[in-house]
Amino acid sequence: MNSVSRYRFRRIRQTMVGFADGWNQIGVQTAFYATTVRSIGDAVARYRAETLRLIASMSLGSGALAVIGGTLVIVGFLTLSAGALVAVQGYTLLTGIGTEALTGFVSAYLNVRIIAPLVSGIGMAATIGAGATAQMGAMRINEEIDALEVMGIRSIAYLASTRLLAGVLVVGPLYAVGVLMAFLAARFGTTYIYGQSTGVYDHYFYTFLNPTDLLWSFFSAIMMAIVVMLVHTYYGFTATGGPAGVGEAVGRAVRTSLIAVVLVTLMISLSVYGQAGTFHLSG
Amino acid sequence: MTDSRTRNAKRWDPAPIASTPVVQPLRAVGDFFALTLDTLVAIPRPPYAWREFLLQTWFVARVSLVPTILLAIPFTVLSVFTLNILLVEFGAADSSGTGTALGAVTQIGPLVTVLVVSGAGATAMCADLGARTIREEIDAMRVMGINPVQALVVPRVLAATVVALLLDSLVAVVGVTGGFVFSVFVQNITPGAFAAGMTLLTGLPEVVISLCKAALFGLAASLIACYKGIRVGGGPAGVGNAVNETVVFSFMALFVINVLATAVGVEATM
Repeated sequence: MNSVSRYRFRRIRQTMVGFADGWNQIGVQTAFYATTVRSIGDAVARYRAETLRLIASMSLGSGALAVIGGTLVIVGFLTLSAGALVAVQGYTLLTGIGTEALTGFVSAYLNVRIIAPLVSGIGMAATIGAGATAQMGAMRINEEIDALEVMGIRSIAYLASTRLLAGVLVVGPLYAVGVLMAFLAARFGTTYIYGQSTGVYDHYFYTFLNPTDLLWSFFSAIMMAIVVMLVHTYYGFTATGGPAGVGEAVGRAVRTSLIAVVLVTLMISLSVYGQAGTFHLSG
Repeated sequence: MTDSRTRNAKRWDPAPIASTPVVQPLRAVGDFFALTLDTLVAIPRPPYAWREFLLQTWFVARVSLVPTILLAIPFTVLSVFTLNILLVEFGAADSSGTGTALGAVTQIGPLVTVLVVSGAGATAMCADLGARTIREEIDAMRVMGINPVQALVVPRVLAATVVALLLDSLVAVVGVTGGFVFSVFVQNITPGAFAAGMTLLTGLPEVVISLCKAALFGLAASLIACYKGIRVGGGPAGVGNAVNETVVFSFMALFVINVLATAVGVEATM
């Protein structure tokens, strides 16, 4: 009966409680991430078989995703279509000012710095990331994670750290495929579909392809894999609320990790390339 | 009569063929297109689920608004930053506004809309419908004589399309503003030149194409989400996998649509 008047300034109090909850949430997440990273040693020492199994299932995918070729094919396909955009938009724009010969340069420059890292990161979040959240969320709902704890298995090391490790190991070949697909799509679109001579394209492509930039984009792909796996394992590990809860956890995790992927790419390119840009047109 | 029927059933049993790994994906594709056709046919037919439509529009907008803004700002800053390095090197920093406007309207707008609509809107839709399917609410609706396509799928598809349209314009505005702030205050480009260059390559046709793309994305992503949600099976793990597949398939579909629509749009405007 007195539930209305139990506290003074109920609305302000509610806002404060909401704010404190959000603040605590950040602390809980950080603690989870720290534990996950710290337990990588445990994962290598004790759960090596599980890590190997996860590497296999992440690179080839599971369930309906394996039917269309798994993570590798999906990431390759996404970067392929993004690389084709370079040909479609870049070639036409450059033709407008009579410099279509520079399409190879646009491919070497934009694919390495923006398109390949971003699109691979998005692909990873959608495939191995969302898959991890779905598996772990289902385990949490079925009380399998509690069962692991009861059996004396360190659940964070067994579930989260192994996935983090597997994700970082898988991202190398995954990103290599992604970059190659982006280059191939841009080259194919420009030379075969729009009819530019391959010699012109290759000349400008190889002149402006910077090996250091490629190494940095590999570095940003690895950073993205770490962030994506951490975010997705956290949301899977803390899923609540039955079957719908698992789905919602996957959605929330994808949303968060997409933002994180873009922010990681932005931070790395701002700090690596800086104001000067490490780009030299005339040597 | 009955004898011959049972003999016919024995002679041609579709079950073994349907479960082979080659045919199964094809059946899924066919199933998806059947649902798409059902939905498109049901859109102009009464009774209209107005209430559900408004609720879903509000829901999708609420779920996607913050991620859209949070994604659009770093996306634009990243592209503007990379582009300006080039333009400064060429000595053409004044045309930074042209590049920003073109990038924000033709590529970043639709792309961020794709990511948000499929990552935020479609996942939530699929989780909601999947949970209803698991609890057999969809079957209950069928028993009560309510067509679930008309009552649930159509309002969701329309809501996602409308919200995608609105989000696309939001992303374009946020993108151009973010590009302006970053170029002018961080990279010291003349604001007047930036503003003057914005409409050089980006006009009404580009904006219309961008909006068309966004509407197509919303339609495709929500159809995939509804299909995956309605065909869910196997408890919590099933719902989780369905949402995962929704994200993957809608990203793939949308990237393909983006390339095709860009190619068509470029042909139409150049």
